[in-house]
Amino acid sequence: METKFSYFYTTMIIIAVLILVGIISLSFGSVNLSPFQVLKIIFSNNNINESLNIIIKQIRLPRIILSFLVGSGLSMAGVVFQGVIRNPMVDPYIVGISAGAGTGVTLAIVLNLQFSFLFFNTLPLMAFIGSLITVYIVYNLAKTKNKVPVVTFLLAGVAVGFVLNALMSFLMVIGTRDLQKIIYWLLGSLAAASWHDIKLMLPYFILGNFIIIFFLKDLNLILLGETHAQHLGVNVEKSKKYLIIGASLITASVVSVSGSIGFIGLIVPHIARLLVGPDHKKLYPTAAILGGIFLIISDDLARIVLSPMEIPVGIITALTGGPYFIYLLRKTKKEIW
Amino acid sequence: MLKLEDINFSYEKQKILHKINFHLKENEFIGIIGPNGSGKSTLLKNISKLLSPDSGYIYLDKGLLNEYSYKELARKMAVVPQDTEINFNFSVYDLVMMGRNPYQDRWGRVTETDKNKVEEALELTDTKKFKDKSIQKLSGGERQRVIIARAIVQEPELLLLDEPTASLDINYQRNIFDLISDLNDELEMSVLAVSHDLNLISQYCERLILLSNGNIHTMGKVEEVITKENISEVYNTEVDIKYNPMTERPYVIIVPRKKNSQKRRENNFKVHLICGGGTGKDIMNILNDLNIKVSCGVLNRGDSDWEEAKRLNYEVVEIPPFAPIDENAVEKNKKRIGNSDLIIVSNTPFGWGNIDNIEVLTSLEKKDILFMTKQDVKVRDFTEGKTTELFEKIKKNNNVHEINNNKELCSFINNNYKEILYD
Repeated sequence: METKFSYFYTTMIIIAVLILVGIISLSFGSVNLSPFQVLKIIFSNNNINESLNIIIKQIRLPRIILSFLVGSGLSMAGVVFQGVIRNPMVDPYIVGISAGAGTGVTLAIVLNLQFSFLFFNTLPLMAFIGSLITVYIVYNLAKTKNKVPVVTFLLAGVAVGFVLNALMSFLMVIGTRDLQKIIYWLLGSLAAASWHDIKLMLPYFILGNFIIIFFLKDLNLILLGETHAQHLGVNVEKSKKYLIIGASLITASVVSVSGSIGFIGLIVPHIARLLVGPDHKKLYPTAAILGGIFLIISDDLARIVLSPMEIPVGIITALTGGPYFIYLLRKTKKEIW
Repeated sequence: MLKLEDINFSYEKQKILHKINFHLKENEFIGIIGPNGSGKSTLLKNISKLLSPDSGYIYLDKGLLNEYSYKELARKMAVVPQDTEINFNFSVYDLVMMGRNPYQDRWGRVTETDKNKVEEALELTDTKKFKDKSIQKLSGGERQRVIIARAIVQEPELLLLDEPTASLDINYQRNIFDLISDLNDELEMSVLAVSHDLNLISQYCERLILLSNGNIHTMGKVEEVITKENISEVYNTEVDIKYNPMTERPYVIIVPRKKNSQKRRENNFKVHLICGGGTGKDIMNILNDLNIKVSCGVLNRGDSDWEEAKRLNYEVVEIPPFAPIDENAVEKNKKRIGNSDLIIVSNTPFGWGNIDNIEVLTSLEKKDILFMTKQDVKVRDFTEGKTTELFEKIKKNNNVHEINNNKELCSFINNNYKEILYD
């Protein structure tokens, strides 16, 4: 492949970057620590300072792990959606799937449907149902004669997204007693991240990944075009269905703990593709790690920029992702119109 | 190998295919031709399971096509689609490796066999030299060869091709069809190819199916399908059919409307041609195209000009192979010459064996005679100057024109005999 570095070195480098970013992120905040102190606290059981121990292990560590999971989840979902739709302009946020998941969560809060069964909490489950219904509607709205043109897909996604956002506002109005809870969640913030959140989302996150990895090879062939894929022995409709379900599960798990954070699923797959090429067996893990790094850094910025006040991380990602989306639109204008 | 029984197909109430029946035998090469919108590509899509027929059965080997899983089907049948443009930056090697998909497990582990098959296919299609290049950086013809390589590694028994040379230059057209022909001969793949290039496909396939409005108009050997009547009727245009002597296959030529408006008329214009050794073939074909009656002589049986004259059903004054011209033949020839309006002498050499063909002209007066003089007569004179002398004598007594090439011949006839030949 005509990428500058071999896949192995690229992976090694980004894993190293991830560890570095993780440690540095752990070390600053209201109490600044050196990276060495951080490591000492994490790897020792009998701790010197109880409050530092709590800051690192109960506040900062879950937040960074959750940032990583959310960032990588959105990027992985982005890779899958871009592959299935065969266009780099798609991500879960743009095509309204995040909004669908959000509606599901809002509904769960308003109707007070939150409980757990085994490892599976209803909050991500409602998010999943919401996102799946949205994908189904958007996909079928966009479909014309067995094809899903990108323009109609984007338009359908935006339109459905609007409707769902209105629905969410409506639910907030009628469910006034939960207003604060919903708004706080909707802002797309990782500020309240806890181990509980991670437990909440992880089963769905893992299940989604299992499904996607099982069909990942087909995604390469679908990328060539659906007829090519079918001629090469892929049951295209089936693979697409499961890939979309897997990506929706991941999106739902992420959205249910972080609210909707936009544009990561758009930018990161693109950067990953530049690094390792279009082969999904390499692209998928690379995008996952890069997405994690990207959101950890974005969240750091959200904490630092107006310190001590925090801004929602969604603002940071939108500020970097929006212009990138416009750049992509202009670059591919000719092909699209 | 492949058998279609009463296949009907329609797109939203519009019938595209009507009762299609045919049987592709093992290792056979069948071409499908037909005008735009005749259902060629739709037929191929039905066979490749992209579309399913409204009614009828498609059998692949002994099983019904529908009963094959996509993976099983991909091992039996490979498809080279019309549109091979790929918008993603895959390397040639990776792309060809994707052809091994039907043999790989869920996780796409690459085995040694996979690698060997890919190497073989790259070599066979001469694409090894750019195996690390991105598919997007290749030309149309190169890309098509890569897609064929991908089809080869599927190890199919049947190869379907939809316009494999559409929008390619002729060097690539030949290159691709030679390759397909090799796959048919050497790897014993059965081939079913759709093409709108009648002449190209006719040179390669064994049988042709001519589609017209979703029906099989004619099916059979190439020369049974490529006839003036069939093609003119189905394509609704005036054409002429010629033969490629090298492949012994027919080919179609278009008659432009401008020339067509000058309708050739039935005429009694007669030409006598003196030729030999293949120097008369082109002249005969030109005269034949102009609907002119031609006689030839004297020719030895077996001479290539004699063969061509016989093929065109001309009157020929003939003698046994290698025999000198006898009195009897000279007399017959004289008679034909006397009856003709124009005499053409081809650019043939003259020796003692055929000098009588020239001598006979010396008795003529004020006849229209054309000498084809691509080479000076002195060069072709193997009778110690006698032929040259005879030529001079003929020139003195008749209207002799010297013509250098076939183009001059065409314009000479068109200019001088316009009234007789055209309406």
